[in-house]
Amino acid sequence: MNQPLLVGAVAYTPNVVPIWEGIRDYFAGGPAEMDFVLFSNYGRQVDALLAGHVDIAWNTNLAWVRTVMQTDGACRALAMRDTDATFATVFVTRTGAGLRSLDDLKGRRLALGSRDSAQAAVLPVHYLRQAGIADDVELLRIDSDLGKHGDTGRSELDAIRAVLDDRADAAALGITTWEAIGRDELMPGALQEFWRSPQYSHCNFTTLPSVPAERTDPWVAQLMAMSWDDPHHRRILELEGLRRWVPPRLEGYESLFDAVRDQQVSARW
Amino acid sequence: MSRIVLDLVERLGMTPVGGIVELPAAAADLPIVSAWCAHSGNELVSTAGGLAVVRRGRVDEGPAVRDVATEHRPGSRLWLYTNFDCNLACDYCCSRSSPKAPRRALGLDRITRLVTEGAAAGVREVFLTGGEPFLLPDIDAVVQACTDRLPTTLLTNGMLWRGRRLQLLRAMPRDRLALQISLDSATATQHDRHRGDGSWQRAMTGIRLALDEGFRVRVAATVTAYDSAETTALHDLLDGLGITRDDQLIRPVAHRGFADDGVDLTVETLLPEITVTADGVYWHPVAADHPDQLVTTELFPFAHALDEVIRRFTTYRHAADTAASRFPCA
Repeated sequence: MNQPLLVGAVAYTPNVVPIWEGIRDYFAGGPAEMDFVLFSNYGRQVDALLAGHVDIAWNTNLAWVRTVMQTDGACRALAMRDTDATFATVFVTRTGAGLRSLDDLKGRRLALGSRDSAQAAVLPVHYLRQAGIADDVELLRIDSDLGKHGDTGRSELDAIRAVLDDRADAAALGITTWEAIGRDELMPGALQEFWRSPQYSHCNFTTLPSVPAERTDPWVAQLMAMSWDDPHHRRILELEGLRRWVPPRLEGYESLFDAVRDQQVSARW
Repeated sequence: MSRIVLDLVERLGMTPVGGIVELPAAAADLPIVSAWCAHSGNELVSTAGGLAVVRRGRVDEGPAVRDVATEHRPGSRLWLYTNFDCNLACDYCCSRSSPKAPRRALGLDRITRLVTEGAAAGVREVFLTGGEPFLLPDIDAVVQACTDRLPTTLLTNGMLWRGRRLQLLRAMPRDRLALQISLDSATATQHDRHRGDGSWQRAMTGIRLALDEGFRVRVAATVTAYDSAETTALHDLLDGLGITRDDQLIRPVAHRGFADDGVDLTVETLLPEITVTADGVYWHPVAADHPDQLVTTELFPFAHALDEVIRRFTTYRHAADTAASRFPCA
C-alpha cells in the first residue's frame, strides 16, 4: 500500500493548522490518504519539494513560477481554488485624489507590499513597466513577512495606511485584501479603486514527475469532490477561501513569468 | 478617518478561529465594525467600554459540540420519563416521584414517535425512566418500541417483578436492552435510610433475578458523601455478582427535587442530555421537573427541540470561552 501523500504548506496564520487537519481528515480512509507538513516560508517549501521531502506543495503563484524555473518546466500543477483562477491586483487611492488610470501615477508615489508578493509588488511593477511609466513612479516598498509571498496581507494593509497617512498617493493590493476590508464600502469616502489588472492565477498544488499520476490522480479526484453543500467540507472551504477546487488555469501565470524574467527575480528565495 | 477595519483585518488574520480580538473603538467606529463583521463572517461579541470585541469566525455548533466526547454529545442520548409515579419515595429523588405523585405518562404512541424521530436526528441511545416504569401496564410494548429502533436502558428499582410484571420482564428482549437498577450501598443501612426500610434487600433480589434471566444489568448508586470504604465494598459486591465495572455507576446526590442538599447543577454547567416528559423537553434528566431547565413544551418535531438544545449549549460554551479569554488569571 502506498504511503500517504505528503503535502507541504506554509504556516502564515494559526488557522493553517485546522485547515490542513480538516483536509487531511477529509482524505482519511479514502483511496489517496494524505498528511501535511508546514514550512515557515515558500523558499523552504520549494526546496523540500525538489528534494522529494514532500510529494505536493501548496504553492503561491511565485512559488509555482520558481518551481517551474528550477525544474525546467517538468513540474505539474494539479488543482487550484476557484478564487485562484480569477485573482487580480487593484490600485487604490484616496477618494478624490484625482487618479483615474495608471498614467495618472506619473510623478506620484505608489506603496507596494512585500517584494516577494506577486499581487502587491512583482506584478504591480510589471504593470507599470507595461504602461511605460515605471521610471516615473516613486515606489514605497513595505517589506513585511518576507518569505510568505504576501499571504499574511500585512504589507498590503501597511500600504493602505501609507496612503491614508499621505506617505503614498496610491497602493497596490491583491483582490483578496481589497475584498477583506470591504472594498470602498466600509470606509466610505476613504479609498477608491482606480485600476484593476487582468485576471491571473494564484496558488496551486504543485508536484514533480517523480510522483506518478497514479498516486496523484485519485487524490485530485477526491479533492475535486469536496462540496460547498456539505457542512463539514464547507467549514474547510470557507477557511481556505474557496467554494470549489478547479483544474489549474496555467495561462493565468504568463504575466508573472514575464514579470519574473523582466525584473530578474531570483529563481531561489 | 477610522482605520479600525485595517486593524481588524490584520489582527483577526493572525487569530485562530474562535479566538477573540479586542480593539479600542470610538462610538463612530461601531457601525463600521458591525458592518465589517457582517461582511467578513466574524462575530461582534460586544462593544461596551470603548472596546470592540470580535471573535474570529461565526458562532456555530461545530467547535463546541465537537469538543465533547462522541458518546456525550448533545443529542446522542435521549431520556424519556415514561411516568412520574413510583412505589418508592426516596428522599433525594430529583424528579419528586413517589406513590403520591400523579401519573404523567408519555404513552406508547408519543414514545414511539420520539424514538423514531430521535434515531433520524442522530440519537444513539435511549434511556427510559419513571418514577418506576414497571408501574405501567404496557411497559413491555414501550420497551419493544424503543429497542426496535435503538439500544435502550430501562431504569428501575427492581422491586416489582412478581406475577404479571415478572411476565412483562421475561418477555423483554435481552439484546439492545440493559436494566439499570438502583442500589446505593453494599449493605442495607445506607440504602434503606434514603429509599425506605427493606428496599435494599428487595433491590438485591431484583438484581439477582435480572441477572438470572439473562439481562445486562447496570447498577447505579446515589451517594450523599464519598466514602472510599463504602465504595470499595459496593464494587466488591457487584464484582461478585458478575457485573462489570463499566456497569457500576456511582454518582452524588443532585440538589434537585426532594434533595435538601447535593451538587448544584445548572444548564450552564451541565452537558445536555435531552429529556422528554409528558410536560415538555428538558435539558437533562436530573432536572426534568424544573422550569429552569425546560427547553420547550413542544415535543414535536423532535429535531426542533434538539436544535434548540444545541443552540443554547453553543451559546453557553461561547460565553464561557469568551469570559475565559477576556479575564485571564495571570
